[in-house]
Amino acid sequence: MGFLSPWFLAGAAAVGLPLWIHLLRQYRSTPHPFSSLMFFERRTQSSIKHRRLRYLLLLSLRILLLILIAFAFANPFVTRTSAASEGRRMLIIAVDNSFSMRYGDHLARAKQEALGAVSNLRPGDRGQVLAVGSHVHFMTQPVEDTNQLKAAIQSIQPSDERSSYGELARALRTISQSSSMPLQVDFFSDMQKSSLPPAFADLRLASDTNLIFHSVADSKEPNWMVESVTAPAKIYDPKKVRVQAVIAGDGTPAAKRTVSLVLDGKVLDMKSVDVPASGRASVEFLSLDSPHGFHKAEIRIDPRDSLAEDDRFAFAIERADPHPVLFLHTGGQERDQLYYRSALESVPEAGFVLEPLAADQAANQSLSKYAFVVLSDVGSLPAGLEASLRGYVNGGGSLLVALGPASAALGHVPVSGETIQGSSYSSLDQDRFQTVASADAEHPALRRANKLEGVQFYQVMRVDPGQSRVVARLTNQAPLLLEKQVGEGRVLVFTSRFDNISNDLPLHASFVPFIEETARYLGGQQDQSTNVAVDSYIELRSAKEHGAAVEVIDPDGKHPLSLKESTTAPSFQVDREGFYEIHRTNGRQEMVAVHADRRESDLTVVPPETLELWRNTGRGTDVSNATAGAPGTPVRPWSLWRYALLLVLIIAIIESLLASRYLSVEKEAA
Amino acid sequence: MHPSTPTRFIDPSLLAGLSHLDLVAKTVVDGFVAGLHRSPDFGFSQEFAEYRAYSPGDDLRHVDWNVFARTERMYLKRYRGETNCQLTLMLDSSASMGYSSHGITKLDYGRFLAVSLAYMANQQRDAAGVIIFDDDVRNYVRPSTRQGQFMRVAHAIEHAQLGTRTDFAKPFIHFQNFLRRRGIVVVISDFYEQPDTIIKTVAPLRFRGNELVLFHVLDPQEIRPKLKEPVLLVDVETDDALEVSPEYAKEEYTVKIDAHIDDLRKKANAANIDYCLLRTDRPLDDAMREYFLIRKGKM
Repeated sequence: MGFLSPWFLAGAAAVGLPLWIHLLRQYRSTPHPFSSLMFFERRTQSSIKHRRLRYLLLLSLRILLLILIAFAFANPFVTRTSAASEGRRMLIIAVDNSFSMRYGDHLARAKQEALGAVSNLRPGDRGQVLAVGSHVHFMTQPVEDTNQLKAAIQSIQPSDERSSYGELARALRTISQSSSMPLQVDFFSDMQKSSLPPAFADLRLASDTNLIFHSVADSKEPNWMVESVTAPAKIYDPKKVRVQAVIAGDGTPAAKRTVSLVLDGKVLDMKSVDVPASGRASVEFLSLDSPHGFHKAEIRIDPRDSLAEDDRFAFAIERADPHPVLFLHTGGQERDQLYYRSALESVPEAGFVLEPLAADQAANQSLSKYAFVVLSDVGSLPAGLEASLRGYVNGGGSLLVALGPASAALGHVPVSGETIQGSSYSSLDQDRFQTVASADAEHPALRRANKLEGVQFYQVMRVDPGQSRVVARLTNQAPLLLEKQVGEGRVLVFTSRFDNISNDLPLHASFVPFIEETARYLGGQQDQSTNVAVDSYIELRSAKEHGAAVEVIDPDGKHPLSLKESTTAPSFQVDREGFYEIHRTNGRQEMVAVHADRRESDLTVVPPETLELWRNTGRGTDVSNATAGAPGTPVRPWSLWRYALLLVLIIAIIESLLASRYLSVEKEAA
Repeated sequence: MHPSTPTRFIDPSLLAGLSHLDLVAKTVVDGFVAGLHRSPDFGFSQEFAEYRAYSPGDDLRHVDWNVFARTERMYLKRYRGETNCQLTLMLDSSASMGYSSHGITKLDYGRFLAVSLAYMANQQRDAAGVIIFDDDVRNYVRPSTRQGQFMRVAHAIEHAQLGTRTDFAKPFIHFQNFLRRRGIVVVISDFYEQPDTIIKTVAPLRFRGNELVLFHVLDPQEIRPKLKEPVLLVDVETDDALEVSPEYAKEEYTVKIDAHIDDLRKKANAANIDYCLLRTDRPLDDAMREYFLIRKGKM
């Protein structure tokens, strides 16, 4: 017998408490004078002895109670030979159906061998079939019917999932705990090394589990693959598109491969590339002529190898027009516009085009078509513009306000309403310039701007933050970047200008990322992932969005979500390769390309010694207990804490009855 | 006493607060008498009972001369309880009488009772005396009707000290030597002795024409002891110690003490001795009332 948590045995020291109560406290007698002991006899003491004996019984119960509680918490167990199950066993047939099993005839061989293993089922044994991918799929319940097992094996289909041996081990532990029989596990797999979990401990097996490996792969299978593709999610100018693909070989000789760019099933371009032995080569396509809308694209290599599914890499692409950005300025300030336009349009992938307009001419301008609006040091707003700006922001639009000397005349920041307290000229103060003292590096606007380090600010407008969130502060603690949520939209306030007079930001490398990320953030182009791996989760709705249905259409054109799921599910896990269409609550449509995890393309097998170590995790106690039972007899720990707690319960009841009886005597006496 | 019902009975613990026993006696007896509807036979009264023919040697003072004038025959007046009734109080002052569970000891209660009886006798011009005893006679005041007799008796009772253990034989033999005239003998004790021994010791007094009354004074805790836990009891007379459990005290002891009381009562009745059990938490005048009602029934 052993204990899983022996330190809890120290709690048995608590038996001192009842000992003190009973032996030291209870029998402390002080003499009481009495008229006569004529009617008390010597045998009275026997009554006390009897009472003491009964108290001793109570004491024993209490001590036993405490010892049993400590015993139960120490989690005792005894190793029990599985002979108790009269030689019966549970036969687990686990077949790997992950993406890598599509290689050649691996899955067919695995299923064939698994069918053969079913014949090992002896009378009285029970069998269960598992399909192992990223999760373990239970194809049957534990049954004794071999035909049922064979049918389940036949029904296993290849999947695009990544296999996880850790998940298999966890499932086997669960089965072992719930089953009273020892397990024999026949695992049919290509024994990919990449399927091992990061920690070897995750592979541990129950002591009565006998794991037998049946590898269907050779030690090293050659495999070419399209390892990755880098392509924009949206293209605005087909002439300025860059699609990069990495072609890799695993265990392959140096060879020439033909790489094709396919759009909606039509080959647009083909290139030939030399892939070194077990190496990588990259291919670049510089144009992608496509009509407007969503397109199913893929990079394909030829000739195909035994794992043809990873010789293509799907990605989704959308052809769209650039989003206009309204740039409102005060006449004569060309420098701000120049720098801002240059920065914004230097990143064609961002898909923004600047439309400058003098503020005094924007009174009747319709704002709804703009991705966002920039107010660049505007000193006065024509009647009605601020109201239309507020309506635009409340309705979900975004506003970027850059403050300069002219803005001081407004007295407050447009739309957000924060007070402009005045202008601060560093040259007039003791410091010649200010730099950024603190900034939220996680804010989308500053994510790639390196916190605007090294930028010197000569003139900033002092703004009372009010209810705005300060994203960045200068060394004199004046806010530099503020953000405020107004209605459904947001207002971002930059307390300086985009020229090289108020600051030298346009001269720094962080300027373009700052402008680009700010534009993406305000234009709502964040986190648009259209290219994910199998088993990834696609976010369907934010926490605020609920009630409205999000429609998901899988590669077969079916709706994998039920009506209830489509209105409530926050995310959706993709489990197969192909293109998924998502219709979101705001009416936007997206196309997501799903490809198999490329770690599945690494067919390197697990070394035999590692497999042996894994197998031995299930036989460790078997070896140590060989002296106790027959050699090789599987043993399993049998936990006793439940029985101990049951005893605790029974003793507690008896103790209560006994103690209440004594207590009632004392009450009567009182 | 029930706290919610008004009563004229006097709580012994209140009597304990009075400084002089004569005042205690006056309080008890006056209260007791005031509560009676008519004059009872007190046992030692001078009320007329019957006529008896004169015989030579009789005291001529008791001849009813009115009857002689009418009938020319000499008759003597007889009074109930004899005109010269003698009351002898025997108060046990052994150590066990010092026990108390609620503020008043058995000896105190006995003192109140004794002095009340003495006061009552004195009011009726009867002779009253007292013997204080434990295992020997500690004090003795001869019964008398002399002036100041009550104060002498009260003084003796008040100064009774707790002695050692009880021994009935010696004081009673001693008392028999003193006893010259018939009368009433009242024994106040807790009677921690075998009933046979007690009756055997006191019965000879009865044979001499005395009326004998046993007042058995016990503390409530002695009759129904209440223990919360096992205790070590020490006999105040012998210093013997014994550990006693609540169960024993509740069950076996109660049976024994009840049997003792019952045995003593039966044996006393069999010997034509009056017996009265008094708990020290019982109002004294109430106890006296009960006793005299019993006596009235006998007369």
